Amino acid sequence: MSRVLREVEEALEDDSLRRALERAAENNERNVARVLERHPEVEHLAREVEEAKKSVIERLDYYIDKAMESLRRVGARPYLAETPEEAREIVAGIVGRGKLVVMSKSMVAEELRLREHLEALGNRVWETDLGQLLVQLENGRPMHTIAPAVHISRVEAARLVSERLGLELSSGSPEEIVEAVRRFLREKLVHADVGITGANAVAADTGAVFLVENEGNIRIVSGLSRKHVVVTGVDKIMPTILDAFKAVLVQAAYAGLYPPTYVNVTAGPSSTADIELHRVYGAQGPREVHVVLVDNGRRRAARHPVLSEQLRCIRCGRCQLECPVWQQSANHWGGRVYGGPMGLGWTAVTESLEVAAEAAMLCLGCMRCDLVCPMEIPLSRIAAWLKRQYTRRMGLSG
Amino acid sequence: MDLRSVLSAIAETTLRTGLPVPAPREAVYRWAQPLGLPRNGRVYLYTGALYQLVPYIKAYVSLLEQLGKGGSRLAKLASTRLAARVVRPDRRESELVEGILSSIARLLSRAGVEYAYLYEDDLYSGVLLYDLGLEEAFRKHAARVYEALRRRGAEKLITVDPHTTYVMRSVYPEYVEGFSIEVVNYLELLAERLGSKPARAPGSLGAMVIHDPCLYARALGIVEQPRRLLKAAGVEVLEPRRSGRMTYCCGGPVEALSPRLARRIAEARLRELREKSERVVTLCPICYANLSRVARDETIVDIALVLAKGFLGVDGGAAAGE
Ligand code: SF4
Repeated sequence: MSRVLREVEEALEDDSLRRALERAAENNERNVARVLERHPEVEHLAREVEEAKKSVIERLDYYIDKAMESLRRVGARPYLAETPEEAREIVAGIVGRGKLVVMSKSMVAEELRLREHLEALGNRVWETDLGQLLVQLENGRPMHTIAPAVHISRVEAARLVSERLGLELSSGSPEEIVEAVRRFLREKLVHADVGITGANAVAADTGAVFLVENEGNIRIVSGLSRKHVVVTGVDKIMPTILDAFKAVLVQAAYAGLYPPTYVNVTAGPSSTADIELHRVYGAQGPREVHVVLVDNGRRRAARHPVLSEQLRCIRCGRCQLECPVWQQSANHWGGRVYGGPMGLGWTAVTESLEVAAEAAMLCLGCMRCDLVCPMEIPLSRIAAWLKRQYTRRMGLSG
Repeated sequence: MDLRSVLSAIAETTLRTGLPVPAPREAVYRWAQPLGLPRNGRVYLYTGALYQLVPYIKAYVSLLEQLGKGGSRLAKLASTRLAARVVRPDRRESELVEGILSSIARLLSRAGVEYAYLYEDDLYSGVLLYDLGLEEAFRKHAARVYEALRRRGAEKLITVDPHTTYVMRSVYPEYVEGFSIEVVNYLELLAERLGSKPARAPGSLGAMVIHDPCLYARALGIVEQPRRLLKAAGVEVLEPRRSGRMTYCCGGPVEALSPRLARRIAEARLRELREKSERVVTLCPICYANLSRVARDETIVDIALVLAKGFLGVDGGAAAGE
């Protein structure tokens, strides 16, 4: 049949992929169980985040305006981009040509094909999240929301790093790879003209942008260059700074990493008033902070009775790791950017209803995803709705 | 084989013949003939034909698989009489299914449940149409099923598998106007009536690992009942890594669209079950079919046969895992 089925069936032949996914799934299951046992309060936080998200989706335009206003107030420059083209142009305008750009992993940047676009304009662009860098080096695409390189073995990682970056390795151990990449990227991070990040949450009341991480790359990407560009979906807006903080904690917990090593909060550019109380922008941190809020189908989805549910997603990737189909095929099952249970809805929202509907036909309807989603998104119901769209498109409705 | 042909064949065949794959009507109720079950009543045993269809679905899918690309032509032919002659199920499998259904009927009688059987009105529920997103075909089909049930004066149905239970209990009321028939699953009934006192010494039937079907576990809340019954029947019930509410799918639901994917998922699940025991008890005909397709030296047994052995002393033979 289709591209989706072909790609999934090809993935079935890949034994090392299957083993990697099995390991990842088991580890995640255990880690999340441990986190929730030790910190039962996280489940209460999840309920609060769910409610806050619902209220934003119900009045998305209002919250977009409010967030933009708050961003302006703290000296950041907000933009609302309706399409991927618009968003790419905005970012390209900020970055310019012939620049050194460092990025931290962002699924929205993948939606925009931002790295490819900036490279085509003559910029040198480096991913700084190790997994995402490996994906960049293999010219592939992220296979999981949180663990983009879940499909790449240590042997393959060592090969990519030594062949594509020319780094010398002896044992090829994970420790050695991490150290070599750290040294390699250090130089890029220090000299970068622009740092581009995503966002895990944007607080509408204050314009504070939240980013959660463990590697420590995001704080450098967002803190060292003269320009910091945030590219994120409008679904990441939260009513208040407190809600935003809860959202990143919940996301980290359901990714199985809790507490997260770092939570970064950026509310506008760095500044100092230490000399004669005169405010100067661009102290040690960026002088400019640009926040590009990307629509790309989200505002329309917010009014849709079924797809609006997907917008609550905090991209923890739990549903992917618990799904029997995803465990065999990773993001080969899905659209260009998003795969697995959450990927069906997100592909319908941001890429193509047709692709999503076709992929949905492989959903088992087993409902494991429904049970593990911290935002209580009825994922299997979204898949069932997509199946109906598929048969309708095929003229099989009657 | 292309997806569209398979879907349209399933929709057409169901609307034309009442069954989703080519099969003779009497294959649905033949099992009941030797039992002399009453024809009329208010409480009916309703199998929804799923158990009976499994051997036919298997034969049909393997035919499609063998034919590869030519499969779409067969899929188009599926609703003709010719296809009915080409799709031949394995005789032993049909016998096994008949054994399972008559075990269920006998267990219900043993439990003192009074019920009648629908015979030629034991129609297929249409669940596959619903699962595949063939909504309009499902709506039409469901209306006919309801009409037959109403004609027979059904007030309560006893269902025997998770898919039929789910679709009748949760989906029909949404799609069929005026549907108000009560739906109870046979395991719920048996657990209530037979589950409290052991029929055999604990563990005397040996240890088995239980594979919960997704719908019982997550949509219908039938988790504790089968365990209670198995224990009372003398089985030591072992729990796999993922069990109860978080049970793992057998892969069956995608079999018609991607047999290879279905097989991979079944293999993954069987490996996990195998860690506890090579004797696996299943509670659903789809799980049974998909897990037994990949089993090597494991024995897969339907719960009805195990319960029949425990409560009735009836030996389901090799099928009961002996
Ligand atoms: S759908 Fe739910 S489980 Fe899946 S990534 Fe989103 S929030 Fe996490």
